[in-house]
Amino acid sequence: MTRLPNWLKSGRVQIGLVIILVLVICAIFAPYLAPNDPNEQNLISILLPPAWADGGDPMFPLGTDSLGRCVLSRLIFGARVALTVAFVASIGAMVIGAIFAHIAGYFGGFVDWLIGRIVEVWLSFPPVILSLILMVGLGTGLRNVILAIVLVDWTRFCRVLRSEVLVIRRKDYISAAQLIGFSNWRTITREILPGTLPLLITLMSLEMGVAVIVEAILSFVGMSVGSEIPAWGQMIADARLNIYDAPWGLICPILAIFFAVFGFNILGDGLRRTLDTRLSETERA
Amino acid sequence: MTILNVKNLSVASVARNATFPVLTDLTFSIEPGKVLGLVGESGAGKSMIGRTVSQFLPNGFKVIGGSMEFAGKDLLNMPAAERLELLGREIAFIPQEPLSALNPVLTVGQQMKEHLTRIGIPAGKGWRTWAMEEFEAVHLPHGAALLDKYPHQLSGGMCQRILIAMAFASKPRLLIADEPTTALDVTIQARIVKLISEMQRRDGTAVIFITHDLRLASQISDEIMVLYAGRPAERGPAKEVFSTPSHPYTRCLQLANPSMSGPRRGLFILPERMPGLKALNELKGCRFASRCPNVIDTCRLKEPPLETVGQNHIAACFRTEATSGIVPPPPVPMPQPVLGVNRLETSNITKSYTVGWNLLGGKTMFKAVNDVSFALAQNEFVAVVGESGSGKSSLARLIVGLDTPTSGKIELMGKDVSRNTEADKRHRREFVQMVFQDPQSALNPRRRIATIVTQALEAIGKLSGEKDRLERARELLAEIGLPPEAASRFPSQLSGGQKQRVNIARALCAVPQILVADEIVSGLDVSVQAQLLDLLLKLRQQRQFSMVFISHDLSVVRYLCDRVLVMYRGEVVESGPTEEVFASPKHAYTKTLLSAVPPDDVSAEWTPASVEQLSKVG
Repeated sequence: MTRLPNWLKSGRVQIGLVIILVLVICAIFAPYLAPNDPNEQNLISILLPPAWADGGDPMFPLGTDSLGRCVLSRLIFGARVALTVAFVASIGAMVIGAIFAHIAGYFGGFVDWLIGRIVEVWLSFPPVILSLILMVGLGTGLRNVILAIVLVDWTRFCRVLRSEVLVIRRKDYISAAQLIGFSNWRTITREILPGTLPLLITLMSLEMGVAVIVEAILSFVGMSVGSEIPAWGQMIADARLNIYDAPWGLICPILAIFFAVFGFNILGDGLRRTLDTRLSETERA
Repeated sequence: MTILNVKNLSVASVARNATFPVLTDLTFSIEPGKVLGLVGESGAGKSMIGRTVSQFLPNGFKVIGGSMEFAGKDLLNMPAAERLELLGREIAFIPQEPLSALNPVLTVGQQMKEHLTRIGIPAGKGWRTWAMEEFEAVHLPHGAALLDKYPHQLSGGMCQRILIAMAFASKPRLLIADEPTTALDVTIQARIVKLISEMQRRDGTAVIFITHDLRLASQISDEIMVLYAGRPAERGPAKEVFSTPSHPYTRCLQLANPSMSGPRRGLFILPERMPGLKALNELKGCRFASRCPNVIDTCRLKEPPLETVGQNHIAACFRTEATSGIVPPPPVPMPQPVLGVNRLETSNITKSYTVGWNLLGGKTMFKAVNDVSFALAQNEFVAVVGESGSGKSSLARLIVGLDTPTSGKIELMGKDVSRNTEADKRHRREFVQMVFQDPQSALNPRRRIATIVTQALEAIGKLSGEKDRLERARELLAEIGLPPEAASRFPSQLSGGQKQRVNIARALCAVPQILVADEIVSGLDVSVQAQLLDLLLKLRQQRQFSMVFISHDLSVVRYLCDRVLVMYRGEVVESGPTEEVFASPKHAYTKTLLSAVPPDDVSAEWTPASVEQLSKVG
């Protein structure tokens, strides 16, 4: 019984999980890992290069920004915002999207038509603009960032999952369950959900990557968390002014975003290959 | 001169550290103008032969020995370009699924033109006349109109004719037909088979006809080769192999199939299953030994060689003389229905769908089921037969309540349930259950067998915990003849026959009075089919239920059912006791259906009537 489940044997899944695990550790243990207080300004040593470069200070391993704040510490603390948004927003979007998708796909008819049209109208707004509008309406703050992402991205889940539900809905075992007397609720949760779950998990891990980017965009334009909380998008915005004098201040948060998104995406891709029943054995390898 | 000469051919599946034999030591040859029938159950390696000839072996499969010569040229070692030249021109194929073999986004004409260009007919104006002549040869009327149609606008039978026309367009010297009629209706099957032999006689083509149906093979082949687990069990003249089989497997296959004429005879039940690829490496003796009724100790020690048993007739068995001694068991008795006690009564039920509107508000209606009335007595088995689109499955869906009839009345145990209200549904649940056609689709791949078979108890909340559930599941599995270990497996870990048993067990769990079974034995091997048929009869005896049995296989219906309803275009055109209807059919369509079944007696002339003749009559 100690054998690894199939999906854990995939190299992609392993790489993705390791990257995400590193980020999670950074986020949870940020106060212990960060060499400095991320908000402490040190105006004597501003725009320091990384420790290994000329003029670097070992106190600040990745240098400082224009206010003399430690870049590494801010990166580590920034993981907190990024991951909170990634997990909470994608779970929220998934739950809402999945509920509507299962209702639409299972019951069909008018309900399906209505949900389908709502999703279409929703999708016709450009997502970034929609989230900016929502942020203006809702006000800034971490909770509202999450809310904005959930409200924008649930449609993505709904669309993709609905077609999967439709496929499973036509299987004879659904008819069999109905004939045997399963209630609709039981049919959906016991017969359909186990079939859509792999796709759900895959979509969710891809959505986490999207959420990291959207949060970075929002904090770049100052619409996310307040300036007292370090966030990767904010760091990019701050470092933009000194791009020629201190490029590392820009490069570090970009790399952090890149790795986080890469981790979520490769995890999602690996899960898709191992969990998707529609792929044949050879395509999985 | 022989067209195809295969000597000691062996094909294996090569995995990382082991090879598993798929075909072992195969030797046969075929002369121009002759038909070789390849017969065997699924997994016997029939299709592998066709794939080896075309060198389209699936990933991981390799030829590991032997030779294959086509008209004196070595097929296995020739350059790929040369082989491609031969394929489609000298060697043609007819696939199993005509609809998936044609490109859905190109018209028939475009595909025909492409094919003609490939075989060297210039794409000028001439190809159209050429194509039309070819269509004429395969009895496709309105050739010109057909060229502009897309495959989905045509029926399966028409697509198969187009593919036959394409295959014969180059006047090939060898044709490989891999189960060309399995996906088609019986009435069409007969004509497609006739057509292939007509074309083959016209061009003097050699044909390899792959099929699982021994009776069909014996009708159209000159020679038959019976394969078992990748090795030939028997090869000989078709009529001889069929009338006096030498290998016990051939005999058992024949006896596992219900007969169409004479008194109702028992089915020979082949125990267990064909050894899988992985088991073959460890097997020392005869591959058939574990299932053979004539097995002796020698059989388990060494593999019997192919020995001559008659003129051009060889068999791989130590005891060929004992084969004719294999007799079927006495038939499982048919319990008598309790006539007069009606469990189900339908009167004039109709189900129609709106397929179009016109501007005046008029509707075009399609009647899937039209004015059907019948009654089902206690412990009675009634068969519904007809071709696809005749409304058989629609009728089943109406009875179980998956659809609601447009008009008419369905009475179940004396209560009118035709409006399909919540109360009706509850009433139905108590008395009717359905067994679905495709076990692949009917069992949730993510739930365990124990959970699946006890669904009915879960639905009414009659389970007290997992332990109780497992116990109930084991009881049910024992009743349908599956080992108790199966309870903790997933559907993908079972064979097709086992899945169908689980499918039946799930329906039986609710203790229904009526079972509705939609084509539950089609798509299964004959040996598995025989087991299931006898299981159904045994359960009928024990549980006293009634059944509506939908099938296109008339011999199965004859074995299992008391009464038969013949459906054609949504209407019941004939009904009555099975023996009576089959012995003296009254309606032209029933006659067509019956004539489409190859006769049990090989010397009898097989003259399938066509449905076109029928439409002239009616």
